[in-house]
Amino acid sequence: MKSNKLWPVALLLILLMIAGCAGNVPASQGADHSDPAKNAGNSQPVAGQTEKMKITVYHATKDAMYLVPEVHEVERNNHPAQTALELLLAPPKSSDLVAVLPQGTKVRGISVKDHIAQVDFSSAIVKNNAGGSATEMLAVGAIVNTLTEFPDIHKVQILIEGKKVETLTGHMDVSEPLSRAEKIIKK
Amino acid sequence: MRRTVFGIVLLTLMLLPQVVVAGPSPIIAPDAKPALQAPALKTGTPPANVDAAVSSPPEITGVRYANHMDAVSGISRLRIVLEVSQPVKAEAMVIGAPSPKLVITLIGTAVGKLDGGLSFDGTIAEQASAYMTSGGDTRMVIDVPLMLEEQDYRLFTLPGDAKANRPFRVVVDINRKVPVFDYKFTPGIKNKVIVLDPGHGGSDPGAIGPNRSQEKTITLAVALKTKTLLEKAGAKVIMTRQDDRDVFGPGATAADELKARTTIANNRKADAFISIHIDAFRDPAAGGTSTYFYQKTPYDSMLAQNLQASLQRASGLRDRGINSANFYVIKRTIMPAALLELGFITNPNEEKLLNTPEFQQRMAQAIVQGLDCFFTQAAR
Repeated sequence: MKSNKLWPVALLLILLMIAGCAGNVPASQGADHSDPAKNAGNSQPVAGQTEKMKITVYHATKDAMYLVPEVHEVERNNHPAQTALELLLAPPKSSDLVAVLPQGTKVRGISVKDHIAQVDFSSAIVKNNAGGSATEMLAVGAIVNTLTEFPDIHKVQILIEGKKVETLTGHMDVSEPLSRAEKIIKK
Repeated sequence: MRRTVFGIVLLTLMLLPQVVVAGPSPIIAPDAKPALQAPALKTGTPPANVDAAVSSPPEITGVRYANHMDAVSGISRLRIVLEVSQPVKAEAMVIGAPSPKLVITLIGTAVGKLDGGLSFDGTIAEQASAYMTSGGDTRMVIDVPLMLEEQDYRLFTLPGDAKANRPFRVVVDINRKVPVFDYKFTPGIKNKVIVLDPGHGGSDPGAIGPNRSQEKTITLAVALKTKTLLEKAGAKVIMTRQDDRDVFGPGATAADELKARTTIANNRKADAFISIHIDAFRDPAAGGTSTYFYQKTPYDSMLAQNLQASLQRASGLRDRGINSANFYVIKRTIMPAALLELGFITNPNEEKLLNTPEFQQRMAQAIVQGLDCFFTQAAR
């Protein structure tokens, strides 16, 4: 009798555990993870190979309408956010996608405090930018969405050469920490 | 509909004093919105934790909140997360009088860490008070500046995840509401004050096309043609720049430039602000016309819609639609505003087209037409 009563509970716990292991956490939940110390990355161990981690970065569609996530499997390290930004600056794996940050852009540093990431880019992010609001929106969206894949990061403040800026190339307002952009992700 | 809401409000007012003393929660009844249950918990009543049978009832064990601004659309919302020791049911309802409130009830849950309420920064909500009903529910009453509609808030739960050390959570999202502005618009262009903002200029060429044409030159040409047409129709036009220069002055930073443009607009009592731009992208295939808005008055998206429809008809280019955007000049001007991206300078065909006086004239006519349609619609 006793064990009968516990069955549904046990089943539910198993279900919850399975759900907890699933690799693809819905994007909308990404901003609500609350255990920074233990979940330092959007990286998740690949089954059987603990030395690898998965990193999701966002690139644009060729028509400059949407961002599309691309998942990379890389060697596990202790600076996954830096790695994610490097992958964001590298050419996409898919030939249907376009990298959105200008060539020559360097990441000068990234730090996370109170769930807000401060990411510092070199001035090339402005100087080498082709202009156009589509380019700027996709760039800002890709930076914020790539970093907010990490459970510890809820918002992103963009810095250039160590300083807060109000705009990248004269359209967007990036003066305050920004949260994930959902609508621009291709569904 | 209005009468029903009024009825509920009246009923609520009559019942409210008794609720606190008298137990089971009648104010929840009529249009309470049940929280969406996470899939794993969908079946029936929330399951008790394994050791819940012997331990205490559910309790709020953690509270946090933050304002979130979508990086691209600029839309803001307040998210309140209540961590609960066990899965519980949650319900929401809106009260309109004496002042607008959103009431969240956590059934059979002790107030715990929510005791003493919360105070917010006032942009989306002022504060929340919290108390336990005699029925054993926790009730959180959130003061909001404007009456909320169904689409202005969302209540849902997230299952606990023991492995990741995450408790069960009740989440409340409240979107930023647009204040009802008393702009009394009349139909037609005549006597309207329009600010035209030709994008970039001076030391900032804006985007550059494969044939070396510059965005700043095209935006100025279209703006000057638009000015002529608007003045002919009886409008007063304020230009943020009339020639090839930095609006702020020599050596302006990008931020100085944007501020100088919004200041020009905000210092006059203008009816609409239109920023004219040309788009760009790394892939030359990208193309089309788009219009951006930031809904800070009830009219911004209406203005964008009318302008985009008119521009699209006139340009014949791909319709990229209207979108909310976190753009400086349309967000920080106080009047209804739109930012137009007439076409892509990086698309060889569109670059050619954008440099012809005929196409520029057509775009200018389309802007005037779009404004005319907007004022007609806004006057209704």
